[in-house]
Amino acid sequence: MILALSRTELTLLLRNKTAASLALAMPLLIGALLMVNGPSGWTFIIVLQLVMMLGFTVYMTVTTSLVSRRQDLYLKRLRTGEASDQVVVAGLLVPTVVLGLVQAVVLMGMSKIAGAPLPERPLLLALAVVGGTAMCCAVGVATSGITSTPELAQITTAPFFFALFGGAIWALVTDTVDYRVLLVPGGQVAELIKAAWGGPTDNVGMALAALVAWVAIGSGLAIRYFRWEPRS
Amino acid sequence: MTNPVIQVEGLRCSYGDFEAVRGVDFEVAQGELFGLLGTNGAGKTTTMEAVEGLRKATQGTVRVLGSDPLTDRGVVRPRIGIMLQDSGFPGDLTVAEMVAFWQATSSRASDAASAIEALDLAHRRDVRIKQLSGGERRRLDLLLATLGKPEVLFLDEPTTGLDPESRLRVWEVVRGLLAEGTTVVLTTHYLEEAESLAERIAIMHAGRIAVSGRVSDVLARQPARIGFDVPAGFDVGVLPMLRGDVVHEPSGRVEVRTGELQRDLGELLDWARGDGRVLTGLRANHASLEDVFHAVRADEKVMSR
Repeated sequence: MILALSRTELTLLLRNKTAASLALAMPLLIGALLMVNGPSGWTFIIVLQLVMMLGFTVYMTVTTSLVSRRQDLYLKRLRTGEASDQVVVAGLLVPTVVLGLVQAVVLMGMSKIAGAPLPERPLLLALAVVGGTAMCCAVGVATSGITSTPELAQITTAPFFFALFGGAIWALVTDTVDYRVLLVPGGQVAELIKAAWGGPTDNVGMALAALVAWVAIGSGLAIRYFRWEPRS
Repeated sequence: MTNPVIQVEGLRCSYGDFEAVRGVDFEVAQGELFGLLGTNGAGKTTTMEAVEGLRKATQGTVRVLGSDPLTDRGVVRPRIGIMLQDSGFPGDLTVAEMVAFWQATSSRASDAASAIEALDLAHRRDVRIKQLSGGERRRLDLLLATLGKPEVLFLDEPTTGLDPESRLRVWEVVRGLLAEGTTVVLTTHYLEEAESLAERIAIMHAGRIAVSGRVSDVLARQPARIGFDVPAGFDVGVLPMLRGDVVHEPSGRVEVRTGELQRDLGELLDWARGDGRVLTGLRANHASLEDVFHAVRADEKVMSR
């Protein structure tokens, strides 16, 4: 059942040119550009590539597609079927998550071919990608609840999107231990990726805890704000 | 009623401060079509949503096939079909893809090709849904709700906005399911739809059921009508033998509203024959659901005065 939901959702994502280019082309393109012009070392490039994937492919796609499914009254229809509410939402998220993970692999592969070293602590990289994806899904579901049209998603997604980037860049430019960085979404993700490529590991515990907290906050907001029907 | 398929007792539903459904009771027997009628805002859709398990009741109980449709959703849903009043499709899927997808999420076995055929969508099967007409979308709606022959089918205004031919097609499909034992709950604005399909009806008004029963009984409670064109030199006073009310309408018709149709019609015809008159435009009918509807609304006005 969840497979059928996901397959249909993937078809819809790929048939919508705007959504498809946002989810697929954008991060890969910018990721490639970063490698060509990247003066700042591989950690910098890889952090930005992965945060780009989280921001565009996961967060913005989840928000925009849920809003447009809701506007089409398609979410309302899915609720009349046999799938439970949780299965419906999960089924709609799966393709985005898979696309995000595939993109992470492709981006890593591109960097590897271009000469990037392999991570010294791959587990931390995996945790950063998985945790970041979970956070972006949860916050995306919540954001869809306060967004009335797919067009407005460009505005409503901006705060979290910039926090994600800002946090990552802040973490990249600070070498000293600054706990405030870890509170910003993106900050902990960047911290974990830095540690994966041989950076200091003092902050790893805190970063993981902050990431888990963000997933929990996002899920709480998602349950609170998610809506099945447009406001009448 | 022995073993009702649907039982609703003391149902109340509120949206914030507004109470849309204010104490509704009804039962639906296996294999019957129960019609829920009412004006806009009467509470029909809210009642339906509570019975379908899409809305939590503020008070009262709902049982569908012996279970609570909301808390036992996993047990009830596989056995029912729901057609909402307004529900949508992702426009980028084709008709055939949508049907195949719905089949894949359903535990009931079904034959997509014959379902598409039955609702006259075969020539549109590979067309994207966003290119369908309103009537075609509505038929696809019904197709999905009836896929795999559910035991209980909920139809919320299934024919609103359809052309007469599509409407007949929908009725045909619903009659086919009834013949196979499906229980149907239908809401509609169209009185002739309820008269033609429903065994029993309930007319809702302001969140309550104002009138309910078998269609024939509900109609029998309202006076029947006899009408004819006003003959030359006619005065209302010449018909004292009629038991019903005789009204000379400004439109040039005489309307008799009577609880004794056969008797008064006989008297009227005797009078006409005795007088050597021809009554042009003569009509005699039982009350229509429309009359019942108007009576419900008139009662409300009397009560609110």
